[in-house]
Parts: sequence; C-alpha cells; structure tokens
Amino acid sequence: MRSLYLLCFFLLLAGLRVPESYGYALQDPAVTVDPVRADSLEADSLGNPVKAFGAGESPVQEQLLFNNGLEREEPGFLTLFPAASLQQYLKGNAAGLYVLEPSGEPGTEQSMLIRGTPMPLLSAKDRYQAQPLVVLDGIPLIEEHPFAYDIQHYDFNRIGPATNLLTSIDLDNIESVEVLKDVSAAGIYGPRAANGVIVLRTKQPGIGRGISFNSYMGMVQRPGVTTINGEYENSFRRQFYDRYTATGQYTSDDIYPLYLSDSLNASYYGPSNWSEAYYRNAIIYGINASISGGTDRANFRFSLGTMNNEGVADETGLKRYSAMFHVNMKPVEWLVFSAMVNGNRVERDRNRNLRDRFAQMNYIPDLSAPLAPNKEEFSGLLTAYDNGYDDNKSNIVEGFGRLAIELGNFNMATRFAVDYNEGYRDLYYPRALMEGNSYASNYYGSNQRLIADNLATYDLDFASQHKLRLEAGQSVQWDTHKYNYAYAYKGYNDFIKLNLLDSDPKLPNGEDNPNYLVPSAFPRELVYKFLDQTKQNLVSFYGRAVYNYDDRFDVALLLRTDGSSNAQPTERWLFAPALTLGWDAEKDLLNSGSTVSALYVRAGAGRTGRLNAYDNFSQGPQYTAEIGFTGNLTTPGYNGFGVLTRPYSFGWVGYGIPWAYSDQLNLGVEAGLFDGRLRGSVDFYYKEDKNQLLGIPSFAQFGYQQSYETGMSVRNTGLDLILSGDILSRQEGLSWSAALNMNFNQNQLTALPRGLDELVIGDRLLRVGASVDQYWLWVNEGIYKADSEVPVRDGSPMKFNGITMKAGDPKWKDVNGDNQIDDQDRVLQGNMLPKVSGGFHNEFRYQNWSLNLNFYFNLGREILNQQMANRFDFINRENGRSISSVKEITYWEKRGEYSKYPLYNPWSSVMPYRAEQDLFLEDGSFLKLRTISIGYDLTDWIKSKQPGAARLFVYATANNVFTLTPYTGPDPELVSYTGYDTGYGLPIPRTFTLGIKMDLK
Amino acid sequence: MKILRASLFFLAVLAAGCEKVLDIDSTRTVGEKNMWNSLEDTRGALMGTYGLVRAAMADHNAHWLYGDVRPGEFKAPIRQDLKSIMANDLNASYESLEALSNWRRWFAVINSANLFLERVGDVKAADPRYTDNTMKVDIAQIRFLRAFAYFYMVRIWGDVPLITTSHDGNFENLPREDQLKVLAWAENEMKEAAKDLPYKYSAGDEQQPGNYYNENEARWEGALARKLTAYAVLAHIAAWQGDYPNVANYTKFVMDNYTRGNNGWTSTNDLTNSNGLFYNKKYNQLFGLNFDWGHVDASFTGHIEELTLAAPVINKSTPDIYLPKDSILSIFNEPQDQRFSIDTIGQPLSERYFTNFNGKYPIFSKIKVIMGGGTDPAFRIFSSAIVFTRLEDVALLRAEALAVLGEPQGAREMLNIIRELRGLEPYDEAVNGNLIDAIFKERQRELMGEGHRWYDLVRYHKIRGLDPAFTNLIQSGGIYWPVSRKLLNQNNELHQNPYWE
Repeated sequence: MRSLYLLCFFLLLAGLRVPESYGYALQDPAVTVDPVRADSLEADSLGNPVKAFGAGESPVQEQLLFNNGLEREEPGFLTLFPAASLQQYLKGNAAGLYVLEPSGEPGTEQSMLIRGTPMPLLSAKDRYQAQPLVVLDGIPLIEEHPFAYDIQHYDFNRIGPATNLLTSIDLDNIESVEVLKDVSAAGIYGPRAANGVIVLRTKQPGIGRGISFNSYMGMVQRPGVTTINGEYENSFRRQFYDRYTATGQYTSDDIYPLYLSDSLNASYYGPSNWSEAYYRNAIIYGINASISGGTDRANFRFSLGTMNNEGVADETGLKRYSAMFHVNMKPVEWLVFSAMVNGNRVERDRNRNLRDRFAQMNYIPDLSAPLAPNKEEFSGLLTAYDNGYDDNKSNIVEGFGRLAIELGNFNMATRFAVDYNEGYRDLYYPRALMEGNSYASNYYGSNQRLIADNLATYDLDFASQHKLRLEAGQSVQWDTHKYNYAYAYKGYNDFIKLNLLDSDPKLPNGEDNPNYLVPSAFPRELVYKFLDQTKQNLVSFYGRAVYNYDDRFDVALLLRTDGSSNAQPTERWLFAPALTLGWDAEKDLLNSGSTVSALYVRAGAGRTGRLNAYDNFSQGPQYTAEIGFTGNLTTPGYNGFGVLTRPYSFGWVGYGIPWAYSDQLNLGVEAGLFDGRLRGSVDFYYKEDKNQLLGIPSFAQFGYQQSYETGMSVRNTGLDLILSGDILSRQEGLSWSAALNMNFNQNQLTALPRGLDELVIGDRLLRVGASVDQYWLWVNEGIYKADSEVPVRDGSPMKFNGITMKAGDPKWKDVNGDNQIDDQDRVLQGNMLPKVSGGFHNEFRYQNWSLNLNFYFNLGREILNQQMANRFDFINRENGRSISSVKEITYWEKRGEYSKYPLYNPWSSVMPYRAEQDLFLEDGSFLKLRTISIGYDLTDWIKSKQPGAARLFVYATANNVFTLTPYTGPDPELVSYTGYDTGYGLPIPRTFTLGIKMDLK
Repeated sequence: MKILRASLFFLAVLAAGCEKVLDIDSTRTVGEKNMWNSLEDTRGALMGTYGLVRAAMADHNAHWLYGDVRPGEFKAPIRQDLKSIMANDLNASYESLEALSNWRRWFAVINSANLFLERVGDVKAADPRYTDNTMKVDIAQIRFLRAFAYFYMVRIWGDVPLITTSHDGNFENLPREDQLKVLAWAENEMKEAAKDLPYKYSAGDEQQPGNYYNENEARWEGALARKLTAYAVLAHIAAWQGDYPNVANYTKFVMDNYTRGNNGWTSTNDLTNSNGLFYNKKYNQLFGLNFDWGHVDASFTGHIEELTLAAPVINKSTPDIYLPKDSILSIFNEPQDQRFSIDTIGQPLSERYFTNFNGKYPIFSKIKVIMGGGTDPAFRIFSSAIVFTRLEDVALLRAEALAVLGEPQGAREMLNIIRELRGLEPYDEAVNGNLIDAIFKERQRELMGEGHRWYDLVRYHKIRGLDPAFTNLIQSGGIYWPVSRKLLNQNNELHQNPYWE
C-alpha cells in the first residue's frame, strides 16, 4: 500500500507549475510610468517566471484572453493604503471582487466573494466554502478549516487565534496581483478555484545588486462618539412604562433593573466617560527592506519586514514579522532550480468584548449589573485583564523547491511545495474577571498543505502564423488540518496560569503515579480537552492546448479530471473542461487612424468542480458522539463511556453524493479609444454553482436535525466593468487620469434539492427564482393603538403565531389574508450583498507631485439594524440569561436614530421589536473616500546626490476620510455575513501616514 | 503507438496509486463499515442511547419546564419565556418554547434504539466476546429506553408517530398515531424488557452473571435501567392511562422486590444534601440519568439548579423560578416536616428545601449539587442526576392506586411510610383531609423539583374532577404542548394539536 503511495508520489513529481504558465508581466502601455511602480530590477531570464520555467512567451495574449479584473495590478499603488490584510488592499480595486470587513479590529477574519456568492451564507461555516483561492508564487495557500465550529456553542469566532491568515502577505514583496474570476482563467487551478483565484507573484531577483526600502508610519485617529449614561437609558425606557403600565410594573412580579432605578448611583448616572479608556489614538507602521543580487546563473532576493497595526478601540492590534528568501540557480543551460521560503509571524491583540469572552468560556455570569459607563470603573475592569493574558500567535510558512528542465521546445518542471501555518491561543482570565472563577485555555492548531506537481510543455513550431503549446500536468495535494484544544475553569489560585499536568509517571517509591497526567492547577473535573484532525487529498490531471493564429485568434482548451478524498468512493472523479476563445479584432476591423485604437473580444466557458469541505460527506451514513444538548454541546459520554450515535444534530448523510460543480461563461470586450487614452473592458458573466449540498430540515421523526442532500444551484450573473482614461495629460503640466471599476451582480437560486420550490432554514427563506441573499421579514405597517383596531374575522381577532394581537403590538401586514400573522406573511426583501460595488480612482500629477483620490462604493444593498432592535427589545434582553443579553461597554454609545421607531408594548409575547421585520431594514449603500494621498518623486534629486539610487518617493496619506450613506448605524461596512449589524464591529478608523519608497543599486 | 500504449499503462498505474491517496478513513466520524463490529460498538451505541435520553430531558431544562414550571406554582421574576409557560401561552415566540415543542430529540432516542435492535446481530456474529447474555440485557435496556421515550412524548404531545424501525436511508413522513395505541405498545415493550432486565449489573444477578462489559458494580450502580426501573416506569404508564389496577400490580412488584435492587428509603438529609441522592449515580435513583462529576460530565445547564438556585446558595442575583412564601406555607403546612416547616414564631426549622425563606426570593434548594456536591457558591456548574423516579415516588403512586381502587387501608400505609420518613404524623383524615388530596399533596412536597407536578395535576384532576377549568383543559387537549411549527413544515402528514391551532 505504502509503496503504491510512494510510487504515485514520485511518479507525479514530473510536472506542474500551474501559476507560472500564466506568468506575464502586464505592462499596460497606457498607464504612465508610476514612480512607485518603477522597478529597478531588470527582468532577465531568471527574473521572468515564464522564462525561468523554461517556456517561451505564451503564444496567446493572456492578459487579454483572461481578464483579471484589476484596473491596475501594481501593488506599489495598493501599498499606499496602510492595510493589514490582503483583503483590505484589494477592496474596491478589482471589479467583481467583494470584500466583507465586518470589524475594524486588525487581523480579524474577512471574507471575499468573487462574482457573487456561490451559496446562501447561512452559518459561519459557509463563509469558508465561498472563499477564493489565494496563490502565492504558485502555491495555493491553505485556509483554516471550519471543523472547529463543531465543538463551539457560539460561532462568533473560531476557537484559536482566529487570525486572518492573509495578514501574512507583505505587499512590498509582491510584484503583481491578479484576480482570476472565471473558469477560463482559473480552471487551471482546479476545484479549489471554483470561487475564483487571487494570484500573487513575488518580486524576483535580478542581475546585479538591488536594495529597496519601503516604510510608512502613521497615526490612527480616535473616533468621536456620543456617550450616554443611565439617566438617558432610564428616560428612554420610561416612555414605555408610562405608556403601557399603570404602576411602573407591567406585571406584579416585574422588576425594574436595579442599575437604572437608583438615580443616585454615580456609576450609572454619573458622567459617561468610558470612551476615554476604550478608544485611543494609535500608531501604525510598516517597514520592508530587501536586498537582491546575482548573475544570470544564480541570483537571490532576501527581504525582511515588519508591520504594526494598532486598532483604535479596546487596545487591539496586529504585529507581523516577515522574512522571505528567493533563490534561482541555473547550473547548466538546460536546468533551473528555484526555491522560495516565506516565513511570517503574526501576533494579535484581541478585543475584550464580554460576549466573546463569555462565548469562549461557554459560561454566562450573572448579567444583572452591566458595565457602568464610568471611566474609573471601566478602567478597573481593564486592570483585571492585566493579571491574565490572551496571546494569539500564528506562524505561517510557505515554500517550494522546483526543478525545471529546459530543452528548447520541450520543458518540464517538478515542484514540491509546502504551505504550513500554525496558530496558538493561550488564554488566562484571572478570577477577578468572573465572579471569582479563573479560566485557562490553550489552543494549538495547524493547517498543512503538501503539494507535489509536475508540468510538461511542448511548443510546436510551425513556420507559419500558427503557434501552439501543449501542456500536460498533474498534481497531488495533501491537506491536514488539526487542533489540540483544552480549557479549564476555576484554578486553585491566580498565580499558576497554566493548565499544568502531573508529569511524573512514577512515584518516588517507584510505583506508577496514579495522578500521572492529571491536572494539578485546575480541578480535574473542570478540565476539558479536545483533539481533532481532518485530511483531504486532491489528485488532478490536466492537459491544455493554447493556440494562436496570426496574432489574431487565441484559443485555449483545458481538460482536467480531479479526484478528491472528500468525495464519496463511488463519485471520486470529476471531469471538467474549459474552452476560451479570443479575437483581436484590431487587425480585422479597425483602420489605422480610427477612434477605436484597440479591440479584443473574448469568450470562455467551462466547468470546475467544488470540493466538499467535510470528510463526513465522503463517509455516507456514519456514527459519531453527539449526545450534547443546547448549552452543553460537547458532552464527553455517558457514565464515563465514549458513545456512538448517528450524527443527529449534524444531519443525515446518505450515499450517492455527486460532485458539486460550477459552470461558468464569460463574454468580454476590451477596447481602447483615442490612441489608448480611454480604455475599458466589459465582461458579462454567467456562473452557476450546481449540485451543491444543503442541509434540509427534515426527518425529525428519525431524530435528524436535517438531511444533507445534493441539488442546490445558485446562479450569479453580472457585468464587470473597467473604465479608465487619461483625462488630462500634458508632459510638463497637470495630468489627470481616472479609473472606474464596477461590478453589477445578481444572484438567483435556481434549484433546491428534491426539486423543492422553497425551503425555510432558520430565519431565512430560500425560494427558487429569488436571490439567496435576501432577508425574510414581516412587513411593518405601524401600530395597533387599541385592541379594537386589531382586525377581527369570524369573531376571532388577528393572531400572531397563535397569540392574539393587542394594543401596542405592531401592525404586521397580513400578506396572505388569513387573519393570522405567521411565516406565511414574511416577505423576501432587501439584499445582503450589493448589486453594484466598485472603486473610483483618480490620479493627478503635476511635475514631481502626485495626488490620488480613491473612492469605494456599494449600491443596492440593505442592512438589518439589529443593534436598534436589541436596544428597543430591552425587556427580553434585560431579562434573558443568554448571550444576547450581554451588554458591552459600547451599550453606552448613542448609535442610530431612536425617533424612527414606534413605541410598541415591549412586554408583548409577540416580541414587537424582533429584528426580522422591515422596520429595521435600512438602505446600506455608501460611498467612501478611502484614500487620499499626496506624493513627491525625489528620484531626480537623489540620483544627483547618490548615483547608486534608483528611486526615491515620499508620500502622505489620509485613509477612510469620509462616508456618505443613508444608513443610520455607525458604519454600513460593519455588518456580518448575514447582513445584520450586531454592533460588534470595531470602527474602521481614520488613519494618517507618511511613507517613503526607496530603491538603491 | 507503442508510446501511447506505454503511457496509457503508465497512467493506469498512476490512477490506481492515486485511488489509495484518495481513500481516507475519517478520524472524526465512524463510517458504516467500522461500526457494529465489536462489543465496544454495542457499548458505545447503548451508552449513546442513554445519552440521547439524557439530552432530550436536559435540553433547555425541558424535564423541569414541562413538569415543574408549567403548573405555574413557581413564579418567574425575570425570564419572559418561563412566564409564558406558566401562563400556558405555549405558542409564544421564544427559543426555549420552540425547543420544548420539538420532539426531534426523543425521536433521536428512538432511532438510535431501532438501529441498535436491527444491527446488534452483526456484532454478535462478528465478535465472540459478545455473549448471549450481554446481548439479551442490552436489547432489554434498549427496548426499555425506546418505550420510555414514547411514554414521555405521549405525556407531552398526546398522539405521536409510532416508528419501530430505523428506516435507514428510506425515511418517510409518517402521521401521528393514537396515543392509546402508542401507550399500549410502550407498556407491552416495557413488560417484555422487564423480563430480561437484571436487578443489578456486575453484581451476580442471575440474569446478568459476570462483570457487565468488564466493569465492576460500582461503575454501573444506578446508571442503567434495571428490572425495578421498568416496573416503576410501567406504573407511571398505567397511571397516566388511569389503569389503576395495573398501577397496583406494577408498584407491588417494586414494593416486594426493592431490596433485591439495593433500594431503600431515602432519608430527608440524603434527599437534600448536595452530595446526597442526586449526586452521581445511585441504586436509589430508580431511573436516573447521571452527570458524573468524576467523569468530567458536570454541566452548566440541564439541571433544576440552573432554574432554582440563586444567592445566597450560588452567586446569581435572582433565581429563574422561585416558590413564593405564601405558596410554601400553604404546601408545607404541617409541623415538624423535615423538608420544610416553620416554628411557632414563623421561622423555618431548616434550610433543606428552602434557603433565604425570609428574603424576597425564597430559594428552592432541595436539589443543589454544585460542582462535585459542594457548597462553594462561586461557580455555577452542576452535576445532579436527572431522577425520573425513585422508591418514594413508587410508594406514593401505589398509595394513589389503592386509594382510587377503594383500598384506603393499603393507601394509608403507603402514604404513612413517606410521612414518617419526613417526620410527619401519620395521615389523619380529620387533619389532612381527603385521602387522595393528601396523597397528591404529599407527592407535591416530596417530589417537588423532580419534574412530576404537571402530570400529577393532570391525574389528580382526572380523578377528582373538581376544577372545571382544568377538566376543560384536559378535555380540549390543552394539557399537551403544541407541535413545533418546524416539524409541521417538514412533514405534511402532521397536524397541530387542535387546542394550539
């Protein structure tokens, strides 16, 4: 068995370097040379990845055939924004790439969607399956696996550091960024690319010495907020008591919260100055220095970098240290060896939300006295944290070694690559933080991807206008995700903060120690340990032919087959073809001197597989240990024995689950007008993700929460539009170039499993023919002022889910007219994802000066303002014992417009202030001025002083300058993937930076 | 051509090797081929079924919300969902009410049991260590648990679908079955199970010789269903149907044989100590589902303590439910009651049942297994077992049956066992009133907080018929819970209980 395995492994070491086959350095001829962009390193045969791989220039015009969606792809331009993560860099810069940034807390997880969502985002787990693949120098980066959510009662954060792994990308090391959006371009990356690909290519060493230095330093501005105190809250609540109670008590056993009832209590009724201890002005900086050198036979590049990104609230922050080494060697003319190692350390200071802490501990203390809005008291809490720690560290390493054989027309490359990352979270909450009970938790988790791939290419020589390249490739990827996790409550004291175990196997007298490996600092009975591991292997074979005729017609045909270990044994393999056609119409249609100076038409269609995220689906009917219940999910067993039951809460998994796949079509036109002064491209796309698994609530009479069945299809159609122009271009005077990128997207659910027309899952309705990102809400039409206003039919008044409506209840629209308000009366409305999103960039130049203005916008999206719903639903929140009753310190911040909402009877059991009604639905469109920067190019000056210098550029930026939006909440971006504004997003701060970019030879 | 053939062969070898790469046995879940092969599998499945029963009763503290909260005698100062349950406003839109009207967790028990019965033969065939006797005892327990699940569901929803096979992979939507039929089936199943169940495990019982699953008696003590368990639950099934002759029969069996199961009467101290009857597992938990502290099985929820305890017993400002002072005084109205009674100046004699009696919220602290049965108020994790029935319950059921059957002498004897146990004078009609009333009052006092009260009230009103409102509730089906809308949505064979439409 093992020998077969090995055989497979080694035989397959004859192959693929997927990304390089797409390597090209797009030098957009129309863009004036950007001082930031100008690279001192000359591309030579080693510096150019395509050449390094051995093949000649691609025979097809790839940059035209495979539209990459970026108006510009130079990271130099992107790095003006002091971003902590790749997602932040790319936001608003690529048509069709949408970034969700639900919190301004540095280093938290952010999601990306390319050309819409392939599935309804119903839970935190779904987000993972909608992410595009990120490829760094040909290594498809591994992501965190959502399996850890299985042991979590709350899915606010994944256990462990929950650090955004893409914060490890230092854009100063990146030469080019591409966004591959459809199967014609992305198909070569296989089923992991079903959601699109972001291709990053690092800076390559060149001939001769080169030193670069890039740095910025800046300040994050403390936001101004309006704080409120107990008096304000009290008078807010009093309105309801005045209206709906005679005596100040709704029922005789109703209690008014103590913290609001004593107006002499200075903590709550005194000054609300907590924000001074919560928000701050903070520092950010980034430094990257690199050195490169070599000859045409061997060269290297080494870079070091660090970044510090402090958050504006709650002393959050992110630090990154990175080192990267790249080497190329060409011992003989026909052999090239390359290797790269990129190591990063990311450390994160996390927020100290109560909710996240209680969710982490899975313990909700007495909530009757919330945090007071008083600075001294709040500082007291923060001091208590100082006795504990919350260390979040991630080590992220990527590397590859590659051997390429270059024999003229025939070339081969074999590569072995690794992407490994590990995260640690060591946590200790001292006793003072929670009613005298301490808590310790330790997490170690790792994700590892090993890749062995091979690629062979053959360039067919035709003496004529025909150019043809044939490629055959194969790859094996081994993924392993695992974690070890333990937590413990109630340590014996506050001095030992580790969950220590008795480590002596023997007693002094030589006998076996009965307490061997028994916790010694925490009670044994309150220590919980978890281990989990999952593996996924992917084997791929592909062949591709690219053909060019007379520099006019481009054709690319890809045929591939992929086998996944997460597919069921009977359905292991999927065959997926893709065909792309391009026509350079310039020669055929355009006369010289015409207004249209360039015209290229492209069309691509193909299929790509979608992987199952969980190995559960490959097993068919199965058994696991699921005897937990709400609030106690991870029950270890019964009577001290491990148990095996069917996965009743996870859901039924049967046999015969086929691959899910994505069928995609892309039609595009790229044109230049007026000698390229106006450029644009339009791509129409059609993308349908079919045969997807969906948990259908069913079979409750057999114990199952749901049944996973195949057959869900979601279609995304839309347009990517890029338009850029040199509005003014004078050699010596002012020039102005502007660029707009936009995506119009519309999604539609086209099929549900079993041929269902609609399906209710939690608070969402999925209806075939409707969008998958719509809210399902009751329609609010006012208030019943008196019992007599409640409509009566056949002698019985209108009911809400069986409860008779009364005065003070909302007037929900009876959509189906049966005088009953229930789920039948909820209406699909609003969209969580924007219909239109994009960026608008302007660059002005005057002599050595440059000014950039970057706008980012979302149109046609709605937000459910749950914050306000919670504020008004204070009766249920105050009186609950659940996580939703937790009040953060930001409870004392005034957010939103109170006067918009009618005064319902908050005691009513119809829950008048439930979030699921259009009362709380708001337009979430916005326009942001994301960056304004001023730069000055000192290259000429420095060259005159220092002949070795190649470039010197200094700049200043202001970021997140303003937002225009009709939304009444704090920021329309701070919204979770469900479209709910929960109020938990920390503000995205306004920052100011000064930076320098310098290259020396 | 040769090259093509060679490369095809090469690819075939390659593909075969890759199939191996793609064959990964999950380490997170057990596939069908790795299950039902050894006695560890049956043990896991059997314990899993117990665990599912426990989960069904513990989820959202269902057992107590159904039994102790619904009658409305306890009051809820804060939680709106509990107020709705007390007001019999069971359609109210709260997560807990939705969970309580959903029977999925019980059907998980039933599916797990059905699967066990269908597959246990595979283990018997595959593993020679799995003896005939172990299999027989396992099957009896599984049949008991399945019948118990049906009985529990009928009490909550009335008619429920009767499903006795796993339908694995061929699930179909089934309608509800007449509750009388379901109960008759459950009673019969349980009688069959009772025949094969031993009195004790790993204790030389003639029906279970040797060490059960190679573990000693201490490991099993009270953790599993036994012969007496089955008879005690049978008595409940019969009582719920008003079949009092059979209640008398079943309870007689328990009364005659309880010593064989190492059962005895629980003293008041043992009943109320934090490391007493409810701590861990005990023979005296006639049917108990334990949360064994030593096995790291304590939990924050799924215990009556989560509802009832508050300061000063634990650090929590207000209890979720409490019994108002007036109610306490009218229920515990006899002097020298060891559970709770007041002296001549109105001070409580003990804090066994109620702590902080004179405070705003008297804390019902009869059951208070905090952490490992200690008294540290700081950390609200509990390890009390869910005790469905115990000897005192059976004695009072017997008293009830005999009283209804016109054997007041026997009923009084049974009642007086309990009264004496708790320090009360023997029953005297002149002082304590109607015998049936006295028996039910004793049940209320003795079994308070053990999830019995609602069903006791239903039986009481069926017998006495004095309260027209309650009688009407019984007749109109208002004593049942609504069937969750989620269930109705996914199975169109189901219909809502008419009372809750």
